[in-house]
Amino acid sequence: MKLFKSSLIALALASATAANAASLAITNAKVHTVTEAGVLENATVVIDNGVITAINPETVTADQTFNAQGKILTPGFIVSMNQLGLVEVGAVARSRDAGEKKADITFDASLAYNPKSTAVAFTRKGGITRSVVAPNGGDDMFKGQTFVVNLTGDYDSVIASQQDVVLELGSKSKGSRATDLQKLTHKLEDAQKALDKAAKAKKSDKKDKKEPKRGEQAINQILKGEKSLLVHVDRATDILAMLALKERFNLDLVLLGAADAIVVADKIAQAKVPVVMNAMRNLPGSFDSLHAHLENAGKLSKAGVKVVLTKNDTHNGHQLRFNAGNAVANGMDYDQALASVTANVADVFDLDSGRIAVGKPADIVLWSADPFELSSSAEKVWINGEEQVLESRQDKLRDRYMTQSVMPKAYTK
Amino acid sequence: MQKLIPSMVMVAVSVALTGCMQSEKQDAKVTINKYPYPSTYQVLPQQKTVIQNATVLVGNGERLDDADVLFVDGKIAQVGKDLAVDGATIVDGQGKWVTPGVIDVHSHLGVYPSPSVESHSDGNEMTSPNTSEVWAEHSVWPQDPGFQAARAGGITTLQLLPGSANLFGGRGVTLKNVPSHTMQGMKFPTAPYGLKMACGENPKRVYGNRKQAPGTRMGNMAGYRMAWAEATEYKRAWEKYDAEYAAGKNPEAPVRDIELDTLRGVLDGEILIHNHCYKAEEMAMMIDLGKEFNYHSGTFHHGIEAYKVADMLAENGNCAAMWPDWWGFKMEAYDMVEENVAIVDAMKNSCAVVHSDSSTTIQRLNQEAGKIMYRANENGFKLTEADAIRWITSNAAKSLGIADKTGSLESGKNADVVLWNTNPFSVYAQAEQVFVDGAKVYDRHDEKYQAQSDFMLGQELIQE
Repeated sequence: MKLFKSSLIALALASATAANAASLAITNAKVHTVTEAGVLENATVVIDNGVITAINPETVTADQTFNAQGKILTPGFIVSMNQLGLVEVGAVARSRDAGEKKADITFDASLAYNPKSTAVAFTRKGGITRSVVAPNGGDDMFKGQTFVVNLTGDYDSVIASQQDVVLELGSKSKGSRATDLQKLTHKLEDAQKALDKAAKAKKSDKKDKKEPKRGEQAINQILKGEKSLLVHVDRATDILAMLALKERFNLDLVLLGAADAIVVADKIAQAKVPVVMNAMRNLPGSFDSLHAHLENAGKLSKAGVKVVLTKNDTHNGHQLRFNAGNAVANGMDYDQALASVTANVADVFDLDSGRIAVGKPADIVLWSADPFELSSSAEKVWINGEEQVLESRQDKLRDRYMTQSVMPKAYTK
Repeated sequence: MQKLIPSMVMVAVSVALTGCMQSEKQDAKVTINKYPYPSTYQVLPQQKTVIQNATVLVGNGERLDDADVLFVDGKIAQVGKDLAVDGATIVDGQGKWVTPGVIDVHSHLGVYPSPSVESHSDGNEMTSPNTSEVWAEHSVWPQDPGFQAARAGGITTLQLLPGSANLFGGRGVTLKNVPSHTMQGMKFPTAPYGLKMACGENPKRVYGNRKQAPGTRMGNMAGYRMAWAEATEYKRAWEKYDAEYAAGKNPEAPVRDIELDTLRGVLDGEILIHNHCYKAEEMAMMIDLGKEFNYHSGTFHHGIEAYKVADMLAENGNCAAMWPDWWGFKMEAYDMVEENVAIVDAMKNSCAVVHSDSSTTIQRLNQEAGKIMYRANENGFKLTEADAIRWITSNAAKSLGIADKTGSLESGKNADVVLWNTNPFSVYAQAEQVFVDGAKVYDRHDEKYQAQSDFMLGQELIQE
């Protein structure tokens, strides 16, 4: 149901922004579809009205043609669990909107999203076309709800808000992790009980029905599978506790971080629970993460876990492709690594993108060479079929200081 | 025989002098031991070794294809084609690359180790704006697993610095990245100490929030100047004492001040400045500050805006240590450009360095340098691998004052060497073998050469 809704919104947006755009055929590309079709050499992708309308059609009919000269075309990369557009400068309080001391499970940071943040244009240069933004939240273990944006930098770039619920478990600087697990279990138990009771009472007694509070509604949505529960967790015991809750309440569970995932990989795979992780995390940052290792992304993927790679750094999401490359260097299958920054992200967060397939929004990137390599660059980025500007404030600064002038630099614009 | 005569005259004269100053009997000379925690580093078992037929980046700007690197007795003996190798252990370098050991001029490994626990968070004595008296070496936890991870990334030498909350954060120490259960066992013999200074936001925020100086950037400058003025007096007092004592008098020694010892070491040219300083206008002032008090302003770390003053840095002989693309975490990190290092490097007599300040990116300084090279070349530069490797080897060695010992594969230098499976500026590159002073300290394919810290021993679980 959720998928359907976000697709509708995406389509509506696509038609709004690209209604008058000419159709485009990208020819002679090496297309990584990230679908069962695999990699297509010398392929043609046709975009019309913001959507991919044909792949390798018998006859190409498009207003414009772009010859990719054999270069690599991939779905736009999707970065997740960052604060893109919510934080302009980390240490400037008045440029931060990602957290709130009293934020709770209902916290919807999408209302604060700034598509004009300089980090958006910079991130886009790294071939990132969408971001799943997560709030930092506050003191509560529930940090709020995620939202999804495209990286056009337009004012209508929030694709979906109040998506999934972010929860933080595990080691604490004050108190015991047990309290949080207990609290979570009780919340789920109580809500489930109330739901069951309401279902039974439905026919006989309508007077007794009270509208649940907004926070309770969010828990109900989790129980009904309308929202995923995204859980920051590292230690194996906490992972196992969450797997047990998933089974008991039939939760749509996603593990974030999950340093110890490798220790219980088979159980995670069996439970079909995805893991969102930073491939570069390999130091025992705490006693919860003694098993962080550069090889974990590849090993989890091989064990059958759906892996999403992320670079959960608000200003450096552009490095996502390098993280994927490093995962490959440390044993991850190349196609799996590509899926982990495209199709898998779309699957886990219910986005209608991440693949080059007919009917998908035309979020695609043309690369000068292997997108994971340090030496390559995104030469062209299309979002909803619209070609994006690939210049950021950083480029302007560089050009200013590399331009010779007898006048002070301030006159070079 | 001729030599002996003047000495005998000298002896006679000094006897005569002391003879006539019997009234001013000299107390024992007060001297300061400048190296009280000496290195106990021992080279690990090493042997004559040759890496054959590799692509060699010498570290001085040169590249040799299909070349051999021979090291003997812990030193680089020769780099060239078809070297005579009798008795040497042969390493096949076909299709592989060889570089000098990678050097990170800015690390907090050991002082802010993993795991990040209160008990080991010893990297910044945030109790006073001037803590020149503290030495990072006294905080090092040698069991930080980060040292092993960095070694697997080709790091052979690293400077550990105190944090940046203070105007003067204290002394940094340069270590060889070999496993040891003491700091002294890692200490790079003869490497000069560094003095960590910090510009900008951090000191004024930390102390300003406590309603004490500095609370502004002008407060920062005042704090530096007052400290250097005092250090100048301290230096003068000791020099006066030394001179008077040498003249046979019996002067009273100045009161020893551990804080001022460090600042005096800078004024004497024995301790090098490592200055956390992001912004162009602040680097310009720090250079003038050095001139005002007669010391060299050293290396600017995190020089996000170094590109704005690249010419000034080169003219004044300052190194700038930089990241490729970290930015946005505070105002002074807002004006990042990805070509920063390349712009600084393009100046004549420049010293561009790529540093990590991170337990994560220290493991991949090769990739950090690679990103810069490629981004710069997309924007008009013509940098090669042989250029880029200098940023993490020879230029870094220069910044640390150890360029005569390491940082390149020139004959006579320490055999600090990395063998890479491919071009080190590829995302797929892995350090296969790492040598420190000719001794193999890491081998990606041989567990025997993969050290593990005490902390990690027995912690790892087998998958259930």
